[in-house]
Amino acid sequence: MIRHLFKLVWNRKRSNALIILEIFFSFLVLFVVGTLGLYLGDNLHRPLGFSYDRVLNVSIDMKQAGDDTFEPAQVATFEKLLQEAQSLAPVEAAAGAIIVPYSLGGYNGAWQFNGRRIETEFNEVTLGFAETMELHLVQGRWFQKGDEALAWQPVVVNAAMARQVFGDADPIGKRFGDPPKEGTEPERRVVGVVSEFRIDGELSGPGNYTFKLKRVGQPDVPGASSLDRPPRNLVVKVRPGTPVDFEEQLAKRLQAVAPEWSFVVKPLSQMRESSFRLRLTPLIAGGIVALFLMVMVGLGLIGVLWQNLLQRTREMGLRRAAGASRANVHAQVLLEQMILTSFGVLLGVVLVAQIPLLDLISFISPKIFTGGIVLSMLSIYLLAAVCALYPSAMASRVQPAEALRYE
Amino acid sequence: MLRNYLKIALKVLLRRKFFTFISLFGVSLTLVVLLVATALLDSVFAPQAPEVSGNRTLGVYLMGMTGPEATRTQFAGYQFLDRFVRPMTKLPAVEAVTCFSLPETGVSYLNGKKIESSVKHTDGEFWRVLRFEFLEGGPFTGDDDRNAHFVAVINEATRDKFFAGQPALGKTLEVDGQRFKVVGVVPDVPVLRIAPYADVWVPIGTSKSDLYKKELVGTFMGLIVARSRADFPQIKAEVQARLAEAKPLITDPKQFNRLLGGADTPFEAAARLLLSSRLEQGSPQKLWAVLIGLAVAFMLLPTVNLVNINLSRIMDRSSEIGVRKAFGASSWTLIGQFVVENVVLTLVGGVLGLLFAGLALHAINASELIPYARLSLNLRVFLDALLIALFFGLFSGVYPAWRMSRLHPVNALRGRSI
Repeated sequence: MIRHLFKLVWNRKRSNALIILEIFFSFLVLFVVGTLGLYLGDNLHRPLGFSYDRVLNVSIDMKQAGDDTFEPAQVATFEKLLQEAQSLAPVEAAAGAIIVPYSLGGYNGAWQFNGRRIETEFNEVTLGFAETMELHLVQGRWFQKGDEALAWQPVVVNAAMARQVFGDADPIGKRFGDPPKEGTEPERRVVGVVSEFRIDGELSGPGNYTFKLKRVGQPDVPGASSLDRPPRNLVVKVRPGTPVDFEEQLAKRLQAVAPEWSFVVKPLSQMRESSFRLRLTPLIAGGIVALFLMVMVGLGLIGVLWQNLLQRTREMGLRRAAGASRANVHAQVLLEQMILTSFGVLLGVVLVAQIPLLDLISFISPKIFTGGIVLSMLSIYLLAAVCALYPSAMASRVQPAEALRYE
Repeated sequence: MLRNYLKIALKVLLRRKFFTFISLFGVSLTLVVLLVATALLDSVFAPQAPEVSGNRTLGVYLMGMTGPEATRTQFAGYQFLDRFVRPMTKLPAVEAVTCFSLPETGVSYLNGKKIESSVKHTDGEFWRVLRFEFLEGGPFTGDDDRNAHFVAVINEATRDKFFAGQPALGKTLEVDGQRFKVVGVVPDVPVLRIAPYADVWVPIGTSKSDLYKKELVGTFMGLIVARSRADFPQIKAEVQARLAEAKPLITDPKQFNRLLGGADTPFEAAARLLLSSRLEQGSPQKLWAVLIGLAVAFMLLPTVNLVNINLSRIMDRSSEIGVRKAFGASSWTLIGQFVVENVVLTLVGGVLGLLFAGLALHAINASELIPYARLSLNLRVFLDALLIALFFGLFSGVYPAWRMSRLHPVNALRGRSI
């Protein structure tokens, strides 16, 4: 039966080739939408590793474009700002950071580990950051007073980074990164591991994260490095029930401390909303376009199949006259359609399989990738079957006498 | 002849309403997506008021520094613009030069409510290069800039927020802890217009700190208005020469040994940013190729769909074709007829697409996703639509027409499928 159907499909190869091409393109569209959907859905489920609740971010404009230089006066001013924030009654905790969650940007770096290059996002923060952001420490400790003066540089990493670098071994106290050739930078050691820190928020994928300690308050430590540069963000955790107008109060107090700088105070929850809007708007627009494309393909398939079956009225009539039941005719039409779809899907899968084979997109895990293929296959088969229903019902309703009259 | 074709085309379209509906659906959907994209690009790159001399303006937008290990990409720095670009007004080819900062967020608190505004620091020349239509008052001058007078021009939206829409002239507003006197009010400018856009414009001299004056690469931009477009190559070369001249001023020559950037039209700036890693002279042709490639890739699925439907429709008409062939119509005549029919169909779809695109753009404007956006279907976008629809019609009509023309008259008359 199936072999016979293949023959039927082959006999009409020219018009079928175009239908296969259409199904192939549709498969690609569905694959992109499906994989992206699964990827985002998967991301939404994993914990953030921090809390944005009751956190205000103060972004500081020091009126300087480059990060290459800084002056001791700037360090002192930042220190005063931090103290001012901590001294206010509604403030639970405050800390400086070079980058904060939902701020659409990031610092990426890579270190060598036994000659192996491992990439990570990183941040430079002051002592109070863990308390302000409610980080979950799973091993070791957070930075503490006196860490700035150590001969080595302490780092805190997230669990993914610890696993990638040290495997199952205990990372605490281990050297972090191969010693630099010129010996300009001090050795780094891991002091703690946090569960996670997904700085780009719920929609972002898994990744490595590393915290370094900003050396605020130690401008005279020998060998000034980027770690002494004052950070451009101040995160402030306020007590529950703090009125909204505290934002204004905070801004005015900071402005009074540093009149030559500018401050923008914004709740992290508000930054979260705008980052969601910015990231989701193009995805939603793309999704709507894809949906319309699929409606278009569906309608097109119905039309084409209907016309094809109209041409084959005699064939169907003959089968009915020879004793085939309506269900048989139904089955034939549906199976033919499935065979056509399979060819298109096969082409699509062969093409899509090149992505992991050639390692084109690294951020999508094999699980999501396979899920995306399965999901898009299911939906394209469903689409093809639904589109075949009406035309095949028409075809099976053909009266043998009516159909054969034309011959 | 053509009239006959058109008549037949209309009759055929009305006869098989379902097919016509599917075709129109596909064509108009494709058009809507492409038109919205075109309108967006148009509103970014095509000059419009207040950029009266936009057609003969080059901008020093992007600048960077590069060295053996690191490359820093930012915008132009004030020191470079002030010392090397501003003096170019002395060249015969240059009509005017203006420098201004990128918009920064300025925060104000008014009766406990927070207002965020985009604040742009500009020189006095800015108002002569960009001819804003003033609703109240007028621009500030170069003297205001040099003497750091705390004056501001604001847009309509800011007037509504601060002064509840009442006349604002002479009143003061506080932004970022600084108090400015309003000297002028202008209509809102869309955020997509990079050079003019802001909510509040104030003199560069009122900046809180002087650090910007030392920057070669920073957060400023410059516009150079040429006497005519023919002077563009000369001006571009001059800016390159001046970039080389400014090289000794780099503060950290170990890390950075070359200044990157140049004078561009907005589209060239986009090419510079998107197509090269070190801000090299971008190739606008390449960017065009990328954009057209994307559009064609998007059109693949709708085209295959339309070809499939067209093929089905021809089968339906095989007896008509058989008769025409039997009476001596050549293949070319038939191809011509069918392509004309298809183009008529896509043009009807194009009109529908334009209508829907108009609605979509209206919705985008109303949603305020893009501040002060005024996306609209102007003549350029309309011509683009016409072009896309024609291309689409030819693209999807030629193959089915060719298949049709090869029908054998005998088979066709018998109503056999192709």
